[in-house]
This record gives sequence, structure tokens and C-alpha cells, in this order.
Amino acid sequence: MSLDLRAPAISPYVAGIAIGLLQIPAFLLIDTALGASSSYVTVGGWLASSVDPALTGIDYVAKHLQGAKNWWQVALVVGIALGALISSRLSRTVRKGFAPVWRRAVGVSGLGGRLAMGFAGGFVMLFGARIADGCTSGHGISGMAQLAVGSTVAVAAMFAGGIATALLMKRV
Amino acid sequence: MTVFSAILVGLAMGVVFGFALEKSRVFEPGMIVGQMQFRNFIMLKIFLTAVATGLVVLSALHGLGVVKLHPKATLYAADLVGGALLGIGISIAGACPGTVFAQIGVGYRDAWATLTGGLCGAVAFSYLQPALAPYLLSGAAGTLTFDGLLGLPFEAVALPFAGVLVVGLVWLEKLRSWRSDLGKHHDGLISEAPARAHDRPAAAGCCSLH
Repeated sequence: MSLDLRAPAISPYVAGIAIGLLQIPAFLLIDTALGASSSYVTVGGWLASSVDPALTGIDYVAKHLQGAKNWWQVALVVGIALGALISSRLSRTVRKGFAPVWRRAVGVSGLGGRLAMGFAGGFVMLFGARIADGCTSGHGISGMAQLAVGSTVAVAAMFAGGIATALLMKRV
Repeated sequence: MTVFSAILVGLAMGVVFGFALEKSRVFEPGMIVGQMQFRNFIMLKIFLTAVATGLVVLSALHGLGVVKLHPKATLYAADLVGGALLGIGISIAGACPGTVFAQIGVGYRDAWATLTGGLCGAVAFSYLQPALAPYLLSGAAGTLTFDGLLGLPFEAVALPFAGVLVVGLVWLEKLRSWRSDLGKHHDGLISEAPARAHDRPAAAGCCSLH
């Protein structure tokens, strides 16, 4: 398997293996599994507590603000943006505005409409992920790889919710 | 490990993660919505490949006794309700909590709104967590794992499961090659764009594969 960093697209199997292999440093160096959604609590809690210091009085928030694991995950998601930025510049697949799929799927034509939709989607997504205590990474990629029953239930519910919502949209 | 070195490790791992998400095109909203509409299967292919790889990797590390596994607690109500909301949000956002950052990296402007919404959602949950905790954490079944339920060692279940996933992926790839799922602009839109979305006949079920 040769890996051309200038290629606009690579096999999903190569990408999946690369992501799966990231469990090695996650477990060996950080003693945790790959995840993304708790970083939103860390950063959101950190930002919001500058406005409302009482927020850190909630155990759940305090727990997310301390320790190497939490800031490791924040660095991980920042790294994702950085990696995608470099990758898209190498392959000249830089994007602007918003994806054309939205015009097709929901008929949104202006950036304003799409920003509102993105905000709403992001809100529901993280509210749900925090109720479930994990997202596509933590429950999906990591939870299922650890044979966790709860994660498998969460992933099934995630696909059910995602499929039901997408089927309300126009076919893309 | 110090916080500083954990951040360096996180950044390095994130860059690899971001490359994988960008090069595989799974970060594209068209891939996510397309997967949820069964129009293309890149997301499922990456997801199941990452799970299979994780199963093998963790079998090795766990078998060698060098790592401790961290399965999450089994909380059926929270997993079902939270998982469903997560899925609804994923289809509306066209992203997962992790792939939002890849969208930001490649330049999608709306990803910043998704990130802001996500941060607000996480903060809103944080305020409600003490009130929700008794419901979300009720009926705790403990931390159930399939190997535990079967009374078998982790590796004895994980490796056959990985094998099943590989067989499923080979079958899926035979059914639909990943290249046919990319679309002309590598964004998961595999059917020709109609002149105007509203003019599309409802029965336009077929897709032209490139």
C-alpha cells in the first residue's frame, strides 16, 4: 500500500487502519481510548467558567478541566484540524463556504442558513454525545473495539437517529 | 505523563487522525448524509475498519498484559437517548464531533458554527448534568462487555469479531467499490447534480456512478 500524500483520496481501509492503530499510543502513552467529544466539555467549560465561575463548582465540569487526559484530547482535536489543513493543501482539496450537499439535501442556499443549521446540529450532537458519554470515536471506534455492550447500544441508536433524520432530507 | 507532553502526543496523533479523515474524504458532509441515506458507504467502511484494527491491536496489547482496557459503563437509557440525539445531530451537522475539526481544517466556514453549537451543547449539558445524573445513571448494569457476558477472554471474542468484520468489509467492497463512492469532487455526491434541486423527480432513485 503506497501512500501518496498528494492524492485527493485514499482507500477508506488504509484510513481506517491508521485510525485504529492510533489506539496504540492512546492506550500505551495516555492510558485511555481514542475519543473526541469530552474535549467539548473541557474547552466549553473552560470558556464558560470565565463568564460564570460557579460552573467549575459542578463536579462534572471540574473533572474535565484537570489532568493530562483531558488536555490530550483537546490537543488531539486541534491536531485533527491541523492534519486536515496540511492534507488538503497537499492535495489541493481546500474547501470554501459550505458543502454543495446542503443545497441538494435541504435546499439551503445562503451561508447564514447553513450556519444556523450547523449550530443546531452541533448543539444536538454534543448534547447527545454527553448524555451517552461518548461519540462516534469514543463509543464507536473505541467502545466497540473493547467489546463494550453500552457502546454497541449507543452506536446502534446513533445510526438509527442519523438514518431517520437523513431520510427526512432530499436524497443527495 | 505531564500535561505538556500529553498535549504534544495529542497534537501528533491528531495530525495523523486529521490526515486520515481528510484523505479518506469521510469528513465531507456529503459522505455523512450519503451514508445515512445509504447512498455511499465510505463512513461505514472506515468505521468498521478502525474497529477491526482496534480489536486486533487491543488483543495484542491486552494479551501482552501491557494495557488495561477502559470500556464505558453500560447505561441503556443514556446510551439509547444520547446515541439517538447524537445521530440526529450528526445528520444535521454533516459531521461527527471529531470530524468537525477536519472540516475546519479544510476551510468549510459552517464548521465553525457546528463547533460553536457543539461547545454550547456541551456547556448546556454540563449545567444540567447534576439534575440529569440520577436518571442517566439509574438502572446501572455495571460495565458489561461481550467477552464478560460470554465468560471468555477478551482476545477469544475480539479476534473472531475482527474476522467477521473483515469478511463483511470484503463483501461490502465487492458490492460497492470505495472509488465509486467518492464522486467527481471527492465529496460523496455520486449522482449528477440536477439543474435545480426542486425539479428532481421523486423517482430519481438511480445514480450514475463515475
